[in-house]
Amino acid sequence: MKKKILFIVALVVLVLWIFPLVWLVITSLKLEEDVLTDVFSIFPKRPTLQNYAKAFSSTYILKWLWNSTVVSVATMILTLAVDAPIAYAMAKIKFRGRQILFWFVMAGMMIPFQVIIIPLYLQFNSYGLVNTLSAAILPRLALPIGIFILKQFFEGIPDELEEAAFIDGSGRGRIFTTIILPLGKSALATVMILSFINAWNDFLWPLIAISDTAKYTITVGIANFQGVHGTDYSLIMSGAVIASVPQFVFYFIFRKKIVEGIAMTGIKG
Amino acid sequence: MKRKSLSACLLVLSLLLLGTVGIGASGSQEKDVASEKGGPIEITFWSLFTGGDGEFFDAMVDEFNRTHDDIVMTTDTVKFDNYYTKLTTALTSQNAPDVVVIHRSKLLNYVPSGTLYPLDDVLKSVNAPMDDFIPAALEPCTFDGKIYSLPLDVHALIMYYNKDLFRQAGIAKVPVTYEEFVAAAKKVQDKTGAMGAAIDNTTATYKAYTLTRLFMSFMEQQGGSVLTEDLSAADFNNEMGEKALQALVDMVRKYGITESGLDYDSSVAAFKLGKAAIHINGVWATGSFEKQEGLDFAAVPLPAMLGKPAAWSGSHTLAIPAKKEMSNEKLAAAVEFMLWMTERGDLWAKAGHIPIRKSVSDNPDFQSLPHRKDYAAAAASSFAAPRTVAWDEIYNNLSDSLELAVASGQDVKTALAEMEKMVNSIIASY
Amino acid sequence: MAIPGNKDTRDGVLFSLPFVLIYLFLLVFPIIFGLYISFYKWDILSSRKFIGLGNYISLFKDKTFYTSLWHTFQFVFITTPILMVAGFVMALFVNSKSPLRGAGENIFFIPYVLSITVIGTLWAWLFQKNYGLFNQLFMLLGHAKVGWLTDPQKAMWSVSAATIWWTAGFNMILFSAGMKQISAEVYESARIDGAGYFRILKDITIPLLRPTIVLCLLLQIIASFKVFGQVYVMTGGGPYGKTRVLIQYIYENGFTYFKMGYSSAMAYVLFLLIMVISVVYYKIMGREK
Repeated sequence: MKKKILFIVALVVLVLWIFPLVWLVITSLKLEEDVLTDVFSIFPKRPTLQNYAKAFSSTYILKWLWNSTVVSVATMILTLAVDAPIAYAMAKIKFRGRQILFWFVMAGMMIPFQVIIIPLYLQFNSYGLVNTLSAAILPRLALPIGIFILKQFFEGIPDELEEAAFIDGSGRGRIFTTIILPLGKSALATVMILSFINAWNDFLWPLIAISDTAKYTITVGIANFQGVHGTDYSLIMSGAVIASVPQFVFYFIFRKKIVEGIAMTGIKG
Repeated sequence: MKRKSLSACLLVLSLLLLGTVGIGASGSQEKDVASEKGGPIEITFWSLFTGGDGEFFDAMVDEFNRTHDDIVMTTDTVKFDNYYTKLTTALTSQNAPDVVVIHRSKLLNYVPSGTLYPLDDVLKSVNAPMDDFIPAALEPCTFDGKIYSLPLDVHALIMYYNKDLFRQAGIAKVPVTYEEFVAAAKKVQDKTGAMGAAIDNTTATYKAYTLTRLFMSFMEQQGGSVLTEDLSAADFNNEMGEKALQALVDMVRKYGITESGLDYDSSVAAFKLGKAAIHINGVWATGSFEKQEGLDFAAVPLPAMLGKPAAWSGSHTLAIPAKKEMSNEKLAAAVEFMLWMTERGDLWAKAGHIPIRKSVSDNPDFQSLPHRKDYAAAAASSFAAPRTVAWDEIYNNLSDSLELAVASGQDVKTALAEMEKMVNSIIASY
Repeated sequence: MAIPGNKDTRDGVLFSLPFVLIYLFLLVFPIIFGLYISFYKWDILSSRKFIGLGNYISLFKDKTFYTSLWHTFQFVFITTPILMVAGFVMALFVNSKSPLRGAGENIFFIPYVLSITVIGTLWAWLFQKNYGLFNQLFMLLGHAKVGWLTDPQKAMWSVSAATIWWTAGFNMILFSAGMKQISAEVYESARIDGAGYFRILKDITIPLLRPTIVLCLLLQIIASFKVFGQVYVMTGGGPYGKTRVLIQYIYENGFTYFKMGYSSAMAYVLFLLIMVISVVYYKIMGREK
């Protein structure tokens, strides 16, 4: 009986939780005029793909999706490449300055982005990188959040495994690539997903760093669906759906990898 | 062994980084090449018009490109909220485009630092018909006798009213004085149940600027102003200010003709759906109301509720960011574009905006647009925001204070005293 | 762990180098520049004027600085406990034997995929006083309209609700991954000893998850102090500035009022505040071993 109650409670919670998302999609299928008046239908009285048509008629929308893909994938790969080594060092290598490094790196997360917009822009301008996709990618690599997540997981890997490998003659680099990385798969996958999503959703910096409409990322591009003097909710929601679908796809693909990765762990005992 | 794998990692990493640097690092050089080859001059342009305004504006730019073989405008649009952040940042490194849209009230943030190009010489060299510009629209774009931008439009605060509801309530005369206004609103409310006056007084997606704009208008209507003439201090903590503020507060709390906690989107929606008799907003709402089937409305200049006619207005202007190398050719092309845009006020008026060239007002294409000529006269009695660098901060904070006063029914004298103190400290901080 | 030959320092440095280089260039350098600016009066486009501690003195006298900081604190206080608990409960659910756990993982995480502007606009629309779904439902049930975003008592809670829906999934993932690392044998032996669900939770799960909880809470706090986007989209800082958080005030001063030096000074005060809170937090958490 208890199980049944819990099941129903869980079901209700899940339905309520997914509801705003469903509402988002429903609104995107409404005519602008109906958004205010046709509030309660589970399915719009006059469903239309008009908003999507309008969104796609914007010359650049596919280019934006492509730009976002390039930026997000590059950020994801580079983030891992750069974060994993230092996370390993912080977790497993007892070197001098380790603690100071930790706080030094942690501090980077505490600064409000707004205050570094101008200096960062001036810097990128001096590198000649303004109005390039690289400008959208590079600053995100300096964000340390991935390091902390990976460090957390690497710390959970027993020292005995490394010791055994050292005794067998392996060096640090080899241990890193053949033992740590495979065991940390779930954490790596988590950081990949998070960095992909955060790169994809990045708004203010790409907006400022990129001036050509053709080079916009999708998040920047669809922001223009918001009007100066009035909100066309149905159009904005359709833009939101278009911008989010690739991420849903990415998440669902990667979710399997996480599950696999976790199944391969379980050496803790 | 370990040295190899470590350096291998680092090598791969550096290659990846170099690779990304290469991505899209082309781009900016392409644009200048075309003009050197003798093709059309390419002018880059940033617009802040999105949504409904954006559609009309982009159509105008397309029309320009279509009719001018020698000039090509490439537009990049940035949502208004972030437009100035982006523009300012770009200006720090001379990365701004050739032409930009700038609100008249923002000019003071850019002109003193020399980031905008003075236009007098170029205008003279292309024989621009400067007499055709309505003086009240052009004057605020001049600083120290030099013209720094060309006005594209004037958008004033006007009054919309629902003709059906007025008819139903038996109102034959469009209200002019405050008493008439309140009486009319009340009458419609009592007879039809619709909201008397949909005037937003709370911030949601959009800030409740209408309140501030009305307050400013009420001050001017009485012959006063929000700031002293030398812009050094607040000038509304007096009888005029009390009357102005009381008028706003009473609409909600005494006469109940406006709902409390009404935000911009709701007030526009209320009028649009025929649930409000009167709506006070800028001219830009006309386009959206026109599209509403079954809405029989009229748009007239803001009534002179507290004295003489005066209405808040803003203005979009076009300017040229000063750059190290801008050939005379390019300057002339940019100015030509700007002049053309102001000429085609009839197209821009479709978005509801008031044209700023006399020839446009006389243009039959413009005259044939419904409503526009009804409120075009508003341009004459409209006033610009005070010309001080502190204005944005004052405007935002006044909005907050006015919202609070209306929402809480604060005593008018206390509210004004607080507002005065706040405005003065803001001015001092610049 | 130390290895034979003790090349720890060298290895530590080598492994850290790629990130540290990028970090120095792209984060540390701009941060230092920003600090430098805080001692100047600068409108971004003209030349700077050195004013020493002028900005800092002004901000300590600025009423709006304090109210904005307070609003940020309100947000942190409201969302932090709820997000931690929600994320934890979700993770428990996802690691349970419920047939709904797979669906749950997806449903709870998916909102995180949406961008900040989408969240803001979606929830602003749901909360819209006259036409939003929630109030339409209320009116249908005979209840009066609620000013979710226009009532100063409710606005911050509404924004918090949207934020929780948006980011609880992130916490869930962190906790869930941590829970998966706990081996089944540990639970088995506890059950054999006769421990019930809550006992296991209290004595096994939570203690074993401690590092994850500590990390998650810290990340949560730091992120909450920097709140801006969704508040701005949903309330514009209103009603009458009652939800204006510090970052909004910092942003407005920098880019709307062109008071870049002042803006930087406030940002550094916030930075220091977050730093102090984090250090204190870590010390407290470290002591309770």
